[in-house]
Amino acid sequence: MASIDLDKMLEKIKGTQWALSDIDWDAPGAELITEEQWPKLKEFMADLMWIEHVGARAFAALAKKAPTDTLREIYSYFHAEEQRHANAEMALMRRWGMLEGDEIPEPNVNLRIIIEWLDRFADEMPVYVLGTVVPMLEIALDGALCTFLLETVKDPVCHQAFEKINDDESRHLGVGFTVMEMQGRSASYIKMVQMMARVMDPRLILGIASYMPLLNKMRDNVIAMGLPEEKLYKAMQKFERIGGRTEEGRRNPWFQLIKQHGRWVTNRSNKMYHVPVDALVKITGMVPRNALPAVPSWVKELTYEPTTTR
Amino acid sequence: MSTTENSKKPAKPKAPRKKAAAARKTSARKAPTSKKAAEKTVSALIVGAGFAGLGMAIRLKQAGIEDFIILERGNAVGGTWRDNQYPGAACDIPSNLYSYSFAPNPNWSRSFSGSEEILDYVHHLVAEFGLEKHIRFEQNVAELRFDEKQGIWTATTDKDVIFTGRAAVMAQGPLANCSFPAITGIEDFKGKKIHSARWDHDYDFAGKNVAVVGTGASGIQIIPELVKVAKHVKVFQRTPGWVMPRPDFSTPEWNKLLFRKLPASQQAMRELLYWSHESMALAVIWNSPLTRIAERIGKWHLRRQVKDRWLRRQLTPDFTIGCKRVLVSNDYYPALQKDNAKLITWPIARISEKGIRTVEGIEHQVDCIVFATGFDVSHSGTPFPVVGRDGRVMGDDWKRGAQAYKSINVAGYPNLFLTFGPNSGPGHNSALVYMESQLEYALKGIRKIVGEDLKVLDVREDAQQRFNKGIQKRLAKTNWNSGCKSWYLTEDGFNATMYPGFATQYAAQMADFKEDDYETA
Ligand SMILES: Cc1cc2nc3c(=O)[nH]c(=O)nc-3n(C[C@H](O)[C@H](O)[C@H](O)COP(=O)(O)OP(=O)(O)OC[C@H]3O[C@@H](n4cnc5c(N)ncnc54)[C@H](O)[C@@H]3O)c2cc1C
Ligand SMILES: [Fe+2]
Repeated sequence: MASIDLDKMLEKIKGTQWALSDIDWDAPGAELITEEQWPKLKEFMADLMWIEHVGARAFAALAKKAPTDTLREIYSYFHAEEQRHANAEMALMRRWGMLEGDEIPEPNVNLRIIIEWLDRFADEMPVYVLGTVVPMLEIALDGALCTFLLETVKDPVCHQAFEKINDDESRHLGVGFTVMEMQGRSASYIKMVQMMARVMDPRLILGIASYMPLLNKMRDNVIAMGLPEEKLYKAMQKFERIGGRTEEGRRNPWFQLIKQHGRWVTNRSNKMYHVPVDALVKITGMVPRNALPAVPSWVKELTYEPTTTR
Repeated sequence: MSTTENSKKPAKPKAPRKKAAAARKTSARKAPTSKKAAEKTVSALIVGAGFAGLGMAIRLKQAGIEDFIILERGNAVGGTWRDNQYPGAACDIPSNLYSYSFAPNPNWSRSFSGSEEILDYVHHLVAEFGLEKHIRFEQNVAELRFDEKQGIWTATTDKDVIFTGRAAVMAQGPLANCSFPAITGIEDFKGKKIHSARWDHDYDFAGKNVAVVGTGASGIQIIPELVKVAKHVKVFQRTPGWVMPRPDFSTPEWNKLLFRKLPASQQAMRELLYWSHESMALAVIWNSPLTRIAERIGKWHLRRQVKDRWLRRQLTPDFTIGCKRVLVSNDYYPALQKDNAKLITWPIARISEKGIRTVEGIEHQVDCIVFATGFDVSHSGTPFPVVGRDGRVMGDDWKRGAQAYKSINVAGYPNLFLTFGPNSGPGHNSALVYMESQLEYALKGIRKIVGEDLKVLDVREDAQQRFNKGIQKRLAKTNWNSGCKSWYLTEDGFNATMYPGFATQYAAQMADFKEDDYETA
């Protein structure tokens, strides 16, 4: 992946849109989900769909902060595309009979915390932070999870949907890494120091505190489903490999930071990291649902219906 | 609506409009026609019977010039206000200021009158000043050409009818042409399509699912009205604008009576409105502390009317106030929050047979799409070919952005006056205030041509260049040039639309007719 021409990318994005109604959600194949798979798949899909949705919200924040008009427009498309992924994944869940009473699946507590954080603070985060975290999340969670899903699930409609989703995703990553390199290129020493100083921002610390358990929680979830742990880690190492392939990319301090974090996550023997974070997962798991504030209204825009008149 | 076409009142806008542009180019190369004119040569040919054309006519009459013709492509007067008859259409500058000082109307029913009432005022102007007999309806000007030897402008219509005049006034309107936007799949849509500026009054919205594309000045006026009648209204927004509270009151009877009995009181009211709008220039045109205050008012208005944090975020503009037209409304935000309304901010992917597909993958199915997408504004061309001295074509001279002298004359095109020419746009005050100074200026020029029997009154190239250097330098410091995309700017960010200053400065510029800046013959 070399740095890409963002203007051309925007044209390409506009020219290759798809909609939920391009897929026949009632086509045969749903029966290929085994009884044994079903409950774990249900939990997995719910998490996946929420991650897409959370990613969408992060792109919305990026669109506000983007340094150029082109990037701003690209990010507002990505915002919508991530929402499309979430919608499509819900449509799959519905196809598989996983939506209770046609309801949106409940987000787990870690996700609720992330949603809350995004709603309160994401728009205020400097573009560098989300611009680096988002590709990481995409590659680790989306990338690894989707590949695994396709290896496990035989339903052709699922494959059809994810082929489209992955096409989008590869563009999101291309742009993500290009932007990281752009930032690395312009980062003077002073700016770098300023960026690092941001780490001390309590709002950001809060964000990190909710991001870390999410990763560990997801790790637990996918492992429960039978994903070999190494696969997830491999995906995360991909972030390090691609993000660090150029001098500019490596110079981006946020890349360095997130990369370091990725290393901790993938190194199970790093007790300094995993003991407290796993503890956080446990603690957040105990937070009673009604202790959390009401979900923001952007969450209610999710839908599995390809067409609507309301 | 493509300009080369005769646009009768309820004519339907067409997309795309490339063909019209192509047609324009080829006809520009046609040789001067040798056909005979339909009528004898008049002192002034006016193109367009909107506020500008009619105002020009009134001022000519008041100055004792009676031989002029107004060519109008439609079959009625009123221009903007004839075409923009959508529900909720109204001016957003108080009526007492959005009217001619030389023809005051004491009877405005409210601070911001609706389209119909403004149109009534226009009809009243026509009747009071006896303009009807000067107007030639359904004459769509397709070309204006200057004959230097005789000092005569020839207007050729699309039906090849010819009119001649010693001077010509282009008053075809800055926002007279519209077309459906070039959204992929627009021609696939099987439902009803309506453009805000070509309203279909026969279409019944009751019980219909409606989409409105666009949230500019027209959109925010239409939406509250549609929400009242339609079953469900989906509003597709690309960029949110600044919306200010609208101090709209109905005029009490005693007030109308006062204005009738004591015209000076209405004049005083106009002055007051004028100066309060002038002061807004400080907020809107330049980035000043007042800009921040204006933005704070806009945010306060939003916070007061919209409680949901996400909706508020969707509606929060991300550009400096004034960079695009400032909107005024009290009922737009509340309308969006009605049960039968919804704001959609996902980008539009395409239009399908049944509705609008947005990028989040969902098809929003509707019975009707209302396009409040604005107008075809040309920054670098003219709506029809204008051929000046030595066969030069204005569109070519303007390739890199329209330029004129004081917005009204263009070097190489003698005896021709533009209304709403380059850099004459008001950002903060009534267009008619600007128009009045243009009409006075044109009147001076036309009187000179007729009185001194001039064949050529042409602004000097160097005077025009000097003028434009000054303008562009001043524009660089304004909010319009602060980085947001708007119809004020060309693709490369050249501002050929707005006047960078107070209306008072503009009036001073126009009050001064510098003969030295002109070449005469
Ligand atoms: C919805 C809307 C609201 C507005 N509100 C305000 C406001 O509140 N305050 C304000 O200051 N301004 C406002 N404006 C701007 C408005 O356009 C001007 O104030 C003013 O009405 C323009 O008058 P005009 O005569 O120059 O153009 P128009 O009113 O457009 O008249 C031009 C006429 O020329 C005719 N014509 C065009 N081309 C040809 C041709 N080739 N041959 C023959 N005839 C032709 C047209 O049919 C039309 O009748 C608004 C505009 C719109 C669209
Ligand atoms: Fe995704």
